[in-house]
Amino acid sequence: MTVQDVLSQFNEIFIDVLDDEDIKLNLETTADDVEEWDSLSHIQLIVAIENKYDIRFTASEMESYRNVGEMCNGILNKLAAKV
Amino acid sequence: MTTVKDNKEILSEANNSLLNHILKTIKEKNPRHGKKITKNLENIGDEYYKKSAEFFNKYALFVKGEGKDVDYGVDCYLKMIGIMMYEQVDFFRTGEYSCKSFEEANKAVYSNPEVMESYMHGLLLSQFLWNHHYKVLEFFIEQINSVKGQVNKYLEIGGGHGLYLSEAMEILGTNDIDYHCVDISAGSLEVAKKFVDNPKVSYRQYNIFDYDEAEKYDFITMGEVLEHVEDPVALLEKLGSLLKPDGMTFITTPTNSPAIDHIYLFRNAPEIIEVIHKAGFEIVKDFKIYSEDVSEKRAEKLKVPMMYAALIKKK
Repeated sequence: MTVQDVLSQFNEIFIDVLDDEDIKLNLETTADDVEEWDSLSHIQLIVAIENKYDIRFTASEMESYRNVGEMCNGILNKLAAKV
Repeated sequence: MTTVKDNKEILSEANNSLLNHILKTIKEKNPRHGKKITKNLENIGDEYYKKSAEFFNKYALFVKGEGKDVDYGVDCYLKMIGIMMYEQVDFFRTGEYSCKSFEEANKAVYSNPEVMESYMHGLLLSQFLWNHHYKVLEFFIEQINSVKGQVNKYLEIGGGHGLYLSEAMEILGTNDIDYHCVDISAGSLEVAKKFVDNPKVSYRQYNIFDYDEAEKYDFITMGEVLEHVEDPVALLEKLGSLLKPDGMTFITTPTNSPAIDHIYLFRNAPEIIEVIHKAGFEIVKDFKIYSEDVSEKRAEKLKVPMMYAALIKKK
């Protein structure tokens, strides 16, 4: 799986959790760019992502991600570690 | 001559200097959370600015008396938000609150003065930083005004930071009214004592289930306590035993609101109403508000916390 694959799957998760069909993520997207992405929806996104990939984020990981690209790479690292 | 408009502007500026400072600090330290609370405070109404000005000025004096400043409160608030975030993640993962027993909560929180003091400062600020907490306070003020002149003995259970007690005393006055405040936590009583700053209140450290009062109360306030016990029906029954036959009670409790010391999970308002009825109470007036400005359907899907408040009396 590439970063672009994860990005495209992320886009679907964001649309579902934030209820906004117009969301178009790129690797540099931050909470400033997506109106509905705040602290509560961040947690909902984190848990939706965890369920999708069957992984768990640590507390510090949840707080450290500054943009979508960092989250995508975080996922890829976790999936690689599982294999 | 100063016009009405000028007064309003001056008031707004004076208020906003503290409110803006707090919001700016929160945004710097936790941008996603800063964004959320700023969004939720939009369109809150003019009264909020007047009321929050009074509150933040009072709060600034209160912390100054402790040799601290408002930034100390903001740090406590952000610490509370950080802990709540982990609890929320756990809640979304499991669908349950992580704390399973009163003993667990008592050991980790209530009997730990340092934890409790910080928690109380965080909660106190949330009363004016969270739209839904503020709206519930407004509803409380409306209910207290409706019983003005009918109260001689007033009790608050789980007085926490003391804000509700302080508001009630301002409305009902202090002449010929006995005010009692019961809390399980010494740390919480210390904060309330200093924030309320009125010698008319008798503060008592009790587990409410052990509290025995021969003389009954006209009015009991119990904000956000039901979710802290294993058996909320038993707690309301205890409260009923402390009430005069025509006495009134004001309660609040949240749904889907994970916190380190929340034990009993109410998933929706009907579950809370069922508990109220089971304990032998009827609802005089109630009010519910979600913590986010979302549709009911989305609130249910995303388990957005809701605050339920009610004025109740014995059947």
